[in-house]
Amino acid sequence: MSRTHIVGHSAIRVDGLAKVTGAAQYVDDLEFGPGLLHAAVVESPHAHAEILKIDTRAAEKAPGVVRVVTGADFPYTFGLYMSDRYIFAMDRVRFVGEQIAAVIAETPEEALRAAKLVKVAYRPLPPVLSLAEALKKDAVLLHPKLGEYQRVPWFYPKAGTNIAHWRKTRKGDPAEGFKQADYILEDTYTVPRYAHCPIEPHATTAFFDMSGRLTLWASSQSPFAQRDVMAIALKPFGLTHRDIRVVTPYVGGGFGGKAGVSMEIIAAVLAIAMKGRPVRLHWTREQEFRNTSQRQGVIARIKMGVRKTGEITALEHTLHWDAGASAEYGANVVNAVGLSATGPYRIPHVKIDSVCVYTNMPPCGAYRGFGYSEFHFGLESHLNRIAKAIGMDPVELRRRNAIREGDTLAYGAAMNPGNLLGAMDAVAGEIQWGRKKKSKKSHKVIGKGMACFWKAPALPPNASSSAYLKFNEDGSMNLSVSGMEIGQGFLTVMAQVAAEVLTVPVAKIRVETPDTDRNAYEWQTVGSHVTWGCGNAVRAAAEDVKKKLIATAARGTKRKAADLYLQDECVKSRKDASFSLPFRDYVISGIMQPDGRFIGGPIHGTGMFMPEFTTTQGDPETSQGGHPNVHYTVGCAGVIVEFDKETGKMDILKVALAVDAGKAINPQLVRGQIVGGIVQGLATALYEDIRYAPDGRLLNPNFTDYKIPTALDCPAEIVPIILETPQPDGPFGARGIGEHTMIASAPMMANAIEDALGVRLKTMPLTAEKIALALKGIDYEEVKGDSLGFCFRGRPCDYPFEVGGGIS
Amino acid sequence: MSIACEFEYVRPASLKDALRLLARPPEGGAMPLAGGSDLIAWLRDGAVQPGLVVDIKQLPELRGIRVSGGGLWMGAAVPFSELMESPAVQKHAPVLVEAAGVLASVGIRNRATPAGNICSAVPCCDSGPVLLVYEAEIHVATLRGTKVIPAANWFLAPRRTALPPGGLVTGIRIPVARHAGAFAKLKRYRGEDLAQASVAVRVDAKGAWRVAFGSVAPTPIRGRKTEKILAGHKQPEGAVLEQAATAAEAEVAPITDIRSSEHYRRLMVGVMLRRSILLASARLVGKGAAYGINIIEEDAP
Repeated sequence: MSRTHIVGHSAIRVDGLAKVTGAAQYVDDLEFGPGLLHAAVVESPHAHAEILKIDTRAAEKAPGVVRVVTGADFPYTFGLYMSDRYIFAMDRVRFVGEQIAAVIAETPEEALRAAKLVKVAYRPLPPVLSLAEALKKDAVLLHPKLGEYQRVPWFYPKAGTNIAHWRKTRKGDPAEGFKQADYILEDTYTVPRYAHCPIEPHATTAFFDMSGRLTLWASSQSPFAQRDVMAIALKPFGLTHRDIRVVTPYVGGGFGGKAGVSMEIIAAVLAIAMKGRPVRLHWTREQEFRNTSQRQGVIARIKMGVRKTGEITALEHTLHWDAGASAEYGANVVNAVGLSATGPYRIPHVKIDSVCVYTNMPPCGAYRGFGYSEFHFGLESHLNRIAKAIGMDPVELRRRNAIREGDTLAYGAAMNPGNLLGAMDAVAGEIQWGRKKKSKKSHKVIGKGMACFWKAPALPPNASSSAYLKFNEDGSMNLSVSGMEIGQGFLTVMAQVAAEVLTVPVAKIRVETPDTDRNAYEWQTVGSHVTWGCGNAVRAAAEDVKKKLIATAARGTKRKAADLYLQDECVKSRKDASFSLPFRDYVISGIMQPDGRFIGGPIHGTGMFMPEFTTTQGDPETSQGGHPNVHYTVGCAGVIVEFDKETGKMDILKVALAVDAGKAINPQLVRGQIVGGIVQGLATALYEDIRYAPDGRLLNPNFTDYKIPTALDCPAEIVPIILETPQPDGPFGARGIGEHTMIASAPMMANAIEDALGVRLKTMPLTAEKIALALKGIDYEEVKGDSLGFCFRGRPCDYPFEVGGGIS
Repeated sequence: MSIACEFEYVRPASLKDALRLLARPPEGGAMPLAGGSDLIAWLRDGAVQPGLVVDIKQLPELRGIRVSGGGLWMGAAVPFSELMESPAVQKHAPVLVEAAGVLASVGIRNRATPAGNICSAVPCCDSGPVLLVYEAEIHVATLRGTKVIPAANWFLAPRRTALPPGGLVTGIRIPVARHAGAFAKLKRYRGEDLAQASVAVRVDAKGAWRVAFGSVAPTPIRGRKTEKILAGHKQPEGAVLEQAATAAEAEVAPITDIRSSEHYRRLMVGVMLRRSILLASARLVGKGAAYGINIIEEDAP
């Protein structure tokens, strides 16, 4: 790869000035004038109940109320991958907090007061709050119409059950593989639900104008996907894609929670109900917890066989996911894991069953890591335990099985380039793996832990990106893309890609947040794919501009295009060193000819990208034959932790994380993603913990009892390590790294805990409490009380992993 | 954030006016507003729906910190931050300063008051154990006159206190005496948190110990049995320390909730007590870490 001048260097963020000065606008900063209406939602107090009657009369008469809307007005379902989510609950409610009606009023307070006056008569149904209950024969069904929902072709819902999807991957002959094993370990691991907790809760203001134009200003990662989902769901109102416009200003954090559509569609229909006046619907922190999407809880059974020499011979990985009341997005998380739950290892015999189960808990969906953090916890814990059992260093065990370019993946396709061994070496060196460290305090002990990770974007095979680039009179540029700037530095990286091709400084390129009317198309900002996918589109657009720059210069100066090249914002000639034509002299106004005519005109370019080699058409029984994932990014993380043996409290002395970025287009931003991913990952590993009452009520929809890290909770030292094995189809060799940086946190910590204290924790989070109790011989599962963090009762080791009624 | 409930807001000019308003509340009742860090959250959640909110934070009678007549007086409207910075409080009630340092966040401490904290009277209130070991007096005013309630008689049940109807806490008085002490708070992480369990200890020059606990009973409680074991030991160690920890674990009555299991709370009461005693006895002889650390997260030298 030739030397780059802008790519690979840490350009200053293009959105930095707007953010530090407060100029950056978020949805709540936008003004809509005195006509703005405010909405409040009526929520279900039951986890599962039939709705007998909704009486809105008192609410309609309340002061300031202009309209009360229920499911009778908008009896439709929606969903990104499967249309199983209801705009308003219709005949039944499926989780505590589900929207049943909305009150639109002149002020937020009037809307809130009137919402309390809506009377709903329910007939409670038995709530399905455990996976075993949901999967038993003759289970209470959450979605009797499951078979009728629209869905993508790679989902396999089982009508007449609570199974929204079941991804099966089969490779080789596991029975044979286990026969070859010298040692087999089988155990169960659990991961509870988590919440995204963006600083900015979901917010949408919607306006349906008198001409029938619907505009939404939304805090979203997915303006185009939202437009598409709404155009499909709201078709009965005659709305088409051209009638719907989604504007997404800056977003205060998403982490997957603002992918797809959740509350935005409520705002949209309220606007339709109030044609001519904008309607504002902003979620409270509590609603952000209970009625957007959460990360799915999972219980996973791992059976792995190895030879004495360390080679893994077979893996059976069974995962039952608590998807909640809707699986319209979560089923794709389940799908992604079903394809990739081998981890970054060469395993000849594989059986994966990843089962997506409806429960009467809030809906789940995308969350940074998309299922990979969840399955790595068990898998990477399991590897350490196996290493211990066969007397091998756990890093050595991983080295012997590490996946390499060209290896056959579980679903039959070939592995892309990636330097997993290099990542292990770098991290092992950084934390002095293998060397014991002693604490200076008698009540403390120091341990080390490592874990590897991999992840692929989970995209539909036709998820595509596009970009427009145009010049201004002074040679500055506007770049139009629709990936979302959600803090990761996307806009800056896209400017760098264009700048590299065109030799225009990054500071001269303006990149704005999306508006579906005006910006280039982007499927969604998810899956750590935009640097790669949208970067390819931007590069193509820049190449298009470059071609036009040269062609126009050649025509206007009577030179051969083949002799011309770009340098320092000028067209130059290899044949004539004295020739230099600055872009600003002609990119709008053209090149003046001796006779006074002008040649050229405004120069702009377009680019698009689609991963044309991808297909989801594998065999549903084995997943063989498709190429569902574009590529995997691999890496490794390690930690040095000091433990207080009495309290279980941890001091994280150092974390090192190496990830193979292919090419770090902006190394500083990559390091930022690594630091952020580690901090977020450690929080989910150590103390974040969603808790439910036995009746399905969320007990901690607030930061009083759901803890996210503060500055005080960051590790003392974080060492980000960037490896660069080019991705052949990535822009300048880049591939995604954003989500990956939090995946290894939990198993790395679990491994450090065992290293230091000899205690193996198999249920997340790995709290100080669990450690302190385990050191006293008390199993936290026995004393935790009746609140639920994940959707099963009793001890994880007793979970049967049975699917009733002979469904397969 | 919207507060849906409607109420009158009044900021009276004197204590007398405030008491008059509180004595004749409108429909829905009247609630005093000092720092508001609990009240505003309750209003927003709809947990309380008063007809009247009486803003007392500017009342001159409720301001000020002074030492007189052998006591440290802290006005009820003085927020934690101000107390932490007061040389008089640092000198005469250093355990309160230590507890304030791990209470909520700087922003909350700039508004919240110990008086408000003990009026809310949740089992985890950090001021509770501190005022118990200081044997503080809670000064209360009503239209009929003033009253002094010992901290030991203040907490009746979760969110229930000895404050008479229509009364206001005007201030808290702590008797001045030479002593050392420590406050330990168990939290789920290093950021601001409600106590999973807390321990306050105070020892005087004769080796008389006072011990109190938070979050391990329906109210903050004194540890009288623990104190008896420690009595007379200026520098408890070995068997005495272990007996004290065992007694403490036995005399608390924690529950299991989403913040902690009963088992962990009990176990940590013992650990925190041992560490607090060692720190307080070191401080008593001019050693030990300066006030203002959390010995659960930082090592006391």
